[in-house]
Amino acid sequence: MNINFLAGTLILALTGAFLPVINRIFRISGVLGAIISSVGYILAGFLILLSGDGKKLLSSFFVTDSVTQLIGMFILVASWMTMLVVYWITQKDKFINELVAALLISTAGALLLISSTNFVSLIIAMELMTMPTYLMVLFSFDDKSMEAGVKYFFNGALAIGTMLFGVSLLYAITGSFDFDVLAKELFRDPLIALAAIFILAGFGFKLTAFPFHFWGPDIYDGTCPGVAALLTGISKSAAFIALMRVVYEALPAISSNLTFIFALLAAITMTVGNLLALAQKRVSRILAYSSVAHAGYTLIAFAALAVPGSITGILYHSVAYVFMKTAAFLCFAVFLYLWGARTMDDYKGLGKREPLLAALFLIFLLSLAGVPPMAGFISKVFVFTSAVNAGMTWLALVGLLNSAFSVAYYIWIAKQMYLEEPTIEKPLNNPSDKNFILIPLAVMAVFLIVLGIWINPVVNASAAFISKIGF
Amino acid sequence: MVLLSMILLPILAAPFAWLGEKVNKDIPKYLSLTVGVFLALCTAYLIVKYPGNGFAFEELYRIYPPFDFNLHLAVDGISLTLLAITAFLAITVTLSSWNVEKPGAYFFLVLAFLGPMVGVFASLNLLWFFIFWEFTLVPMFFHIGIWGAENRIYAAMKFFIYTHLASVFLLLGIIVLFLNAHTFDFMNLLGIKLDPGIAKLVWILMFIGFAVKMPVVPFHTWLPDAHVQAPSPISVFLAGLLLKMGAYGLLRWEIFMLPETSKFFAPLMAFIAVLTIFYAGFRALAEDHIKRMVAYSSINHMGFVLLGLSAITAAGISAALYEMVGHALIISILFMIAGYIHHKTHTWYISELGGLMKKIPGLMTMFVIGVLAAVGLPGTAGFVGELTVMVAAFDYYGWIMVIVPLASALGAGFFMWMLQRAVFGPLREAFKELKTLKELPAVENVPLAMYIAAFILVGVVPSMVFNLYNPVVNAFAQLFK
Repeated sequence: MNINFLAGTLILALTGAFLPVINRIFRISGVLGAIISSVGYILAGFLILLSGDGKKLLSSFFVTDSVTQLIGMFILVASWMTMLVVYWITQKDKFINELVAALLISTAGALLLISSTNFVSLIIAMELMTMPTYLMVLFSFDDKSMEAGVKYFFNGALAIGTMLFGVSLLYAITGSFDFDVLAKELFRDPLIALAAIFILAGFGFKLTAFPFHFWGPDIYDGTCPGVAALLTGISKSAAFIALMRVVYEALPAISSNLTFIFALLAAITMTVGNLLALAQKRVSRILAYSSVAHAGYTLIAFAALAVPGSITGILYHSVAYVFMKTAAFLCFAVFLYLWGARTMDDYKGLGKREPLLAALFLIFLLSLAGVPPMAGFISKVFVFTSAVNAGMTWLALVGLLNSAFSVAYYIWIAKQMYLEEPTIEKPLNNPSDKNFILIPLAVMAVFLIVLGIWINPVVNASAAFISKIGF
Repeated sequence: MVLLSMILLPILAAPFAWLGEKVNKDIPKYLSLTVGVFLALCTAYLIVKYPGNGFAFEELYRIYPPFDFNLHLAVDGISLTLLAITAFLAITVTLSSWNVEKPGAYFFLVLAFLGPMVGVFASLNLLWFFIFWEFTLVPMFFHIGIWGAENRIYAAMKFFIYTHLASVFLLLGIIVLFLNAHTFDFMNLLGIKLDPGIAKLVWILMFIGFAVKMPVVPFHTWLPDAHVQAPSPISVFLAGLLLKMGAYGLLRWEIFMLPETSKFFAPLMAFIAVLTIFYAGFRALAEDHIKRMVAYSSINHMGFVLLGLSAITAAGISAALYEMVGHALIISILFMIAGYIHHKTHTWYISELGGLMKKIPGLMTMFVIGVLAAVGLPGTAGFVGELTVMVAAFDYYGWIMVIVPLASALGAGFFMWMLQRAVFGPLREAFKELKTLKELPAVENVPLAMYIAAFILVGVVPSMVFNLYNPVVNAFAQLFK
C-alpha cells in the first residue's frame, strides 16, 4: 500500500475520531464541524491524488493501483457531498458531530476495503466500514430506526460470519489468506467451490443480491435518508470493488464455475428489484428496490467474467452508481427535510415548489434509468457489451428489458414532480440558506454528466487493472 | 465546427431561456427564434458549400478511440435534407408557440430537443447516434406531459415507456453489431461483412427500434395518444422530426450498412408498409376525433415512406426521402389547424363540427389546401411523394403493388369526407354566437403560410429536393447491385 494513500485514510479516520472530542471541549457549531470535516476530506483527497508514487508498506495486505485511486477518489467525493448534505439537514441535532464522525470512519473503511488484497485485511476493512453504520442507522431514535438497526446488525453479523466461514475453508486448504498465493495454490475442487459460495453469500448480503436482499429496503426506509445514501451508494460501491478483487485476483481457478451462479443471481436480482420497486408507494422504498436492481446489473458484469470487458463494466457501474444512488437518496433526504415528502402522493408538484432541486433529482433518476448522456447509460452499455461478448445475449436482453421497465417507476417520480398539481401546502422547514444545499448535489450531477461523455478516466483505470491481473 | 455548434448552441442556449423568463417573458421565444434562424443559416451555408456528393464537413472529436467512442460528425445530401427540415420546423414551431404559457420552461425544452435532433442527423458514430436519439425523449415527455390536453399524463408516460422499450432493442442491436464489427463508425461499418445469422439478428433488433419510432403497424399505438394529447406545435415536432428519426435511422444504419440483409428482409418491410397504409387508412376513415384522424393519416404516410425504403433501389429510397419531406410539411399544417379548430370550437369531434368555412374562411382555406396536399393533389409535395413511391414499389415488386393506389383512394376518401362534414355544409347553431370562433392573429398565420409555400414550392420544383440527395442515393445504390 502506498504511504500517501494510508496517510489519507488515516487522516480521514482521525478527523472522524476527534470530531466528537473537539465538540465536547469547544461546543462547535454545525458550520464549524462541517468545515473541520471538509478539511479532513480535502487533505485525504489530496493525499490520494499523490498516491501514484511513494514508499510502499503492508504490501501483502493492501495494494494501491489505478482502481484504488480512481474509485477511492470518487468515493471520497461522494462521501464529502453526503457529509455536507447530512450536516445541513440535521444541523439542529445535538449528536450531529457523532453522526458525521461515524460517516468519516466508515468512509475510511471503504477506502481500505477497495484496496485489500488479503482476506484478513478485507474482513477488517469491511468491519471498519460496517461498524460505524450500525450506530448511524440508529441515529433518529424512533421505532422504525430501532427495528432497522436491529435488523441491520443481525444481518451484518450473519454476512460477516458466512464470509469468515468461507475464508477459513480456503485457509484450511491452502494455508494462506493472500490473494496472490490463493490464485496460485487453488485448484478446482468441490470444497473450494463451497468456500467460494460462502464468501459470495457474505458479499450477497452487502450487495443486497437475491436471495439476501430482504433486509435492504427495510433498513434504507427505516433509517434517516442521509445514512441510507451512505449505505446504498458508498458502502455498496466499495463492496462491488472488493468482490471484484476477490473474484479476479483470488479465485480465478474456479471462475468458470461462478459464471452461471452470477448470471442466475443477476437475472433474478434485477427482476425482483424492479418488480418490487414498481409496487412501492414510498419513494425511499422505490429507491431502495432500485438499488437492489442495480446490484443485479452489476452482477451481469460479474457473470461475464470470462472477458476483460467485464472489469470495465463493473468499474464503470460502480463509479456511476456511487454518484447516482447516493445523490438520489440525498435528494430524497432534502425533500423530506424541506417538505416532509415521503410517499409518491407527497411528491406531486414538488417540481413547481423546488424547480432546481427537482431538476437535479430528475438527472439522478434518469441516470439510474440509463438515459444518455448520464454515466448511468454508458455504464450499462459496458455491462451489457461484456455480457454479449461473453456469449450471454439472453442475460443482456433480460437486463435491457429490466432496464426499460425500470424506467416506468423513475419516470413516475418525474411525473409526480412535474406533471401533477402540488398537494403539500406549506413547507416543513424553510431555511434561509436553501440554495446552498444545491451545490453538493450539483457537483454530483456534474460528475455524472461528465463521466457519461468523457469515459477515459474509468476506462483507462480498468485497462491498467486488466493488464495488471494479466487477462 | 459548424455541425458541433449546431448541436451545442441550442443546448447551451436552453438554460438562458429558462433564466430569461424571469427577466422578461419575451426573451425565451426570441431566443428560440434566434436559434432557429441560426440553424437555418447554418444549414443554408452547408447546402451551398456542399460539394454535391459524399460526406462533407467532417468533424472528428476523439474521446476514447479504443472503444470507438468518438463524436464523428459529417453530413451528406440526405442528412442535409433532414437538417433543413429541422431548421424550418424550429422556426415555424417557435412562431406557432408565440403565446404559450410558461414560455421559459417550454422553450428550454424546445432548445434541449433541437440540439440532439441535429446530432441524430449529423452523427456518423452509431453510439453517439443512439445517445442523441434517446435524449430527444426527455424534452418530448415534458412537452406532452405539461402542455398537453386533458389526458396528457397518460400519453406522456406511454410515449416515454413505449419508445424507451423500443430503444432497448436498438441498443442491443448496436452492441451485437459492435462486438462483431469492432467499430461504431459508419465509414468503417459501410460494406462490412458479417456472418449472415448475426447480420439478421442485428437487423431485426435495430428494426424494432426504428419501426416503433416511425411508427408502423403493429408498433404504432403510442402515436395516436401522444399526438392527440400533445400541444399542436409539439405534434409538429413529433410528426416532422421524431418520426423522421426512425425512417432516417432505418435508411442510414440498416439499408446502407447491411444492404444484403435489408434485401433479404425487403418483402417483410413491404408487407408491413402495405399493412400500415391500409390499417391506418381504415382507422382514419372510422375516426371521429379530428386530431386522431390526422395522426392516423400521418401513420398512413409513414407507411408510404417505409414502402419506398423497402424497394431497395435508388428510385425507392429517393422517393421515400421526398415523401419524408412532404410529410413533414403537410402533416404539420394539418396538426396545427386541427389544434386551432379545437381551440376555437372546444370540440375535437368531426360529428360536432360543420360549416366552419362560413365563419373562419381564411383558416379553413388553408386547411383545405393542406388536406388536398395530403391527398396528393398535383402541384403539391404530396402528389410527387406518393407517385414516386408507388412507381418505385411497382418497379421492384411488380403487379402485386397495384393495391397501393387503392389506399391512396382511401386516403382521399377519409379526408374529403372529413372536409365535407366539418368544414363545409351549413354552420352549426352552436357556432353562430361563439366568440372564440374567429380568424387567427397574424403571427400564428405566418407558419401556416410558410408550410403551404414550402410544400407548393417543393411540389412544383421537386428537383430542388431530389438534386440535393440523388447523387448520394445513387452512390449508395451501387451497394445493392
